[in-house]
Order: sequence, then structure tokens, then C-alpha cells
Amino acid sequence: MVAIWRVLRSLWMARGAGDELALSEAPGGLHERTPAGRRDIGIAVVLLVIAGAAALRPLLQDLLDQPAIAHWATIFVAITIQAMPFLVLGVTISAGIAALVPAGFLPRLLPERPALAVPVAAVAGAALPGCECGSVPIAGRLVARGAPPAAALTFLLSAPAINPVVLVATAVAFPGRPDVVGARLLASLLAAVLVGLVWARFGRDEWLGRARRRHSHGGSPLSVLAATAQHDLLHAGGFLIVGAATAATLQTAVPRSILDAIGGSGMLAALALGGLAVVMAICSEADAFIAASLTQFSLSSRLAFMVVGPMVDVKLIALQAGTFSGRFALRFAPLTFAAALSSSLLIGWWLL
Amino acid sequence: MVVALTAAGGTISMLIGAVVLRLTFTNTYQRYVRPEMGRWLLIAGVAVIVLGLATLVQALRGARSPEGHGHDDDHAHGVGVGWLLLAPIAALLLVAPPTLGAYGVDRAGAVNIRSGPAVFDRLEQSDVPRSMTLLEFVERAFEHGGASFNDVPVSLTGFVAGAESGGFRLARYQIACCAADATPVVVRVLGTSGSSPSDDQWVTVTGTFEPGGGELPRLAATTVVEIAAPEDPYE
Repeated sequence: MVAIWRVLRSLWMARGAGDELALSEAPGGLHERTPAGRRDIGIAVVLLVIAGAAALRPLLQDLLDQPAIAHWATIFVAITIQAMPFLVLGVTISAGIAALVPAGFLPRLLPERPALAVPVAAVAGAALPGCECGSVPIAGRLVARGAPPAAALTFLLSAPAINPVVLVATAVAFPGRPDVVGARLLASLLAAVLVGLVWARFGRDEWLGRARRRHSHGGSPLSVLAATAQHDLLHAGGFLIVGAATAATLQTAVPRSILDAIGGSGMLAALALGGLAVVMAICSEADAFIAASLTQFSLSSRLAFMVVGPMVDVKLIALQAGTFSGRFALRFAPLTFAAALSSSLLIGWWLL
Repeated sequence: MVVALTAAGGTISMLIGAVVLRLTFTNTYQRYVRPEMGRWLLIAGVAVIVLGLATLVQALRGARSPEGHGHDDDHAHGVGVGWLLLAPIAALLLVAPPTLGAYGVDRAGAVNIRSGPAVFDRLEQSDVPRSMTLLEFVERAFEHGGASFNDVPVSLTGFVAGAESGGFRLARYQIACCAADATPVVVRVLGTSGSSPSDDQWVTVTGTFEPGGGELPRLAATTVVEIAAPEDPYE
């Protein structure tokens, strides 16, 4: 018990030291206080939207009497509700790690040679449960603390794809099909390592731009925990809403004959579902449920959906451009898409 | 990691939790996900409310204390994309979308069963109708041409998905996780007199298996009873 406390305490002190470093990198802007008025406006907007919805209740009810709209709404709510417990679990664990594990701790564990560091970082991704939204800032922090960029980027790709929460969600979404879980794990690892090795050979550090200008949140572990969980929940939740709405729209509006025509051919189906994953931008903790619902497609192409989704999608491209630079995102996204697609075709052909 | 503790964010979180708990306690959640999810939704709902409350308290305290952490970042780290959560929350606090119905039956593609995975024992002779799922009915129907029914009366519960001459289609969805992966099972009901119940009306049909019929197995109905939609609408 005492030993555990000592370890936690030393971890915490190391974290604190790291934060001072980050603070000096970002002078100003941290402890500026928000004018109380702005906060009240936030709450007022929330209450206003609720009141507006209450006034429009008859209209909402009328809308739900339309079969197509009711169908859309049911699927939209279903995806969101199903993802909620997984989202909460992922956000809680990832906030716990943000609060207790010092950011400088992970890069010290990595070998120096990229050829070794990249696979190690890919496997280390399994230790970070959470959505892809959480792994982008962490990868940015790793780069800022001097980890080899190739390894940090490999971690960025593998963490949301192969962590236990995502694999458990995949097993739940595909009951009785452990081979789908295995294929997802292998294809994601392969894609992350491929991108890492290509980046180690051809990548340039200047593309990583903004990664060093990261600021930090201080305070007790509990307040870091709550603040990180709160931020991740709203952030991931917001993108989940976009994904669920897109998925519900596709399911309601797109005639099945089109999907069936694509579903017939292997390469085209994988490309189409990979593209769908990019556009839908769904959380990696929820995407297996979407993949399971796309029953008209082959398992290999649905594997492509699950491998591409956590690695490259519209919200990730935005997050990466914000964390690193636009030039980075422009190169990284196509590279990752190609790697994810070819990995899933290869592993899908082998295992599924 | 800068994380802004905005009071609005805390309020939104508490509302998310309230919506999740409302769906859980009213059993409405079974329209969207499997019944087993109930306890996880309960835990998630409580956790999100506690988190939102903590954020709200800390944000409001930060507004008073000069040393507080109630700072806001200049742009992206506020509630940001989380504002999008507000629309569905507001809608769900007031109305709950219905269970999937007849509209989706022809858009989703029916369960494709030619011979069931299970080998069925013959039903024992009885005058009391044997209640079974639509899936079991369809699987029995495709196994040896429905020999296992043994002319025993059965009763099926589902919703009406389209009138046909001399009867209607009875359907019910299977879900693996949530309504997004729903697949309908459809049975053709024959021998009803008068006008069919309207689409999406839930009914319990009693009758006997009618051999032949191709794609959709057939049930020759003796009684059709209209019922309220069940709390657990999926198989």
C-alpha cells in the first residue's frame, strides 16, 4: 500500500515538473479568468434551447408521425445510446491516465531506433483506452517531450484502434465472431507500423509545427481527472452526434440497391466503406456497431471500415491540423488511408 | 492538457445524464438497444451527472475565487463541438422516437434463412397455442418444409407491415446491439376476414403453419388480437 502510494506520488511530482515546462512554453493565456458573464451566457444558451424545444414540442411530435423521420430518429438515438456507456468508460479511463501518468514517462520507455520504437509504440497503444479524439493531443504531447515523431504518430494511430475498450466493443458488436476482433487488431497494428516506418524514413520535423506550443492544465489529480473527462466527453460526444446523424441519414435515405451493387465487389466495397468511415467520423468505441449494421457488405470491407475509422476521418484531420499543422494533415491523412486500406484487405483476405 | 471548465459544459453533461436515466427508468431504452444494456446505461447516466455537477461546482467556485481553475481557453477547448449535443438532448427530454416499424422492413433486407441453424424437435400435440418468436417460426418453416410444426397451433407477436390480399405481413426486428443493426423477420398471415389492421399495429396472431409459399413462410390465422406495443419490441 505504502509502495503504491510512493509510486503514485513520484509519478505525480514528475507530472508537475513537466507541467511547469509546458507552462513556460505557453506564457499567458493559462490563468486568465473568464469573465463571469461569459459563463452565464453559456448556461443561458443551454436553457434557451431547452425552452425553445419545449415550445416546439407539438412540432416534434408531428415530425415523429412521419415514418421516415421516425425511422431516422430511432436509429440516431439508438447509435448514440448504445455508444454512451462505452464513451463514458473510455473517457473515465483516459482521464485517469491523464491525471496520474506523467507525460514524460512514456517516451523514456521507448527504444531510440525508429525501427524498434515504431512497433513498440504500436503495441503500447493497447494500453491507452479511449477515443481517437484523446490520442491526438497525447501524441502531440509526446512529440513535445522529445519522443521520436514516428513512434508518437504510430501510437496516435494504434491507440484508438486496438485498445481493450474498442476490442471489447468489437466483440460485443460481432457476437460469436472472435476472428473479426483478431483481424481488426492485426490490420490496425500493421497499418500503424507501416505509417510509422514511412514517416521515420520520409517525414520532416518541421511539419509537426504547433505540437510544441501546447499548454497545460494544472491542479490536483482529481481536478485534472474531472476536467479531462468533462472535455473529452463533450468533444467526443459532439462528434458522435455527427456520426450517428450521418449514419441514420445514410440508413434512411440511401436506397439499398446502390449499397447492394457496391457490396458485390471486394476492392470497391472496401474503398467505399473506407471512404464512408472518413466521412462519418465516428468514435472508435462505437464504430464496430455501425460496421455490424452494414450487413450488406462483406466482412473484409467492414474490416476496412473499422481499421480506417479510428485512424483517419474528417474530425481527426481537423484535430491533427490543429495539433500539428495543415501541411502535416495534408500528408498524413492520405498516407494513413492507403496504409489502413491495404492492411485490412490483406488481413481480411487472410483471416476472414 | 488545457481543459476549460465551463459551466455550460457541466450543464450539458448533467442534461445528458438526465436523458440517459430517463430513458432507462421509463424502459424506453429498449426501443433502441438490447434490454441487457439497462444497467450500463444506469451507471453511465449517474457517472455523467456526477461529472457535470463537479464541473459546474468548480466553474462557479472558480468565478468567485481568484485562484480558481475556472479559466476558459480562447477558442477550441471550450464546449466546442459539444454544443451539438444540445439539440438531441432537448428533443429527447420531450419526445422519444418510436420503436422501428413497417417503414424500415423493406429497406433493411429480411433475415435470409433457408435452413435454420437449430434442429427442432417436433412440437407436442396440444390445444393450447405454442408461443414462439418469428425467427423460430421462420427457422422451423424452412427446416424440412415445416415438418416440426406437427400441425400444432402457434401464436406469434409482431407488428403489421403491409396488407396483402387475404391477409397481411407480420414482422418483428432482430437486433444484435442497437436498432441501427436491426434486421426484420417477416411472416405472411393468411385467412383474416375483413380489413387488415393498419401498419405498425402490434398484434398477436394465433394459427397453424401453412406449407408452401416460397420466400415468406405462411401462417393460416384463426385469431388476430390487437395489442399495445410491447416494452421489449425486438427479438
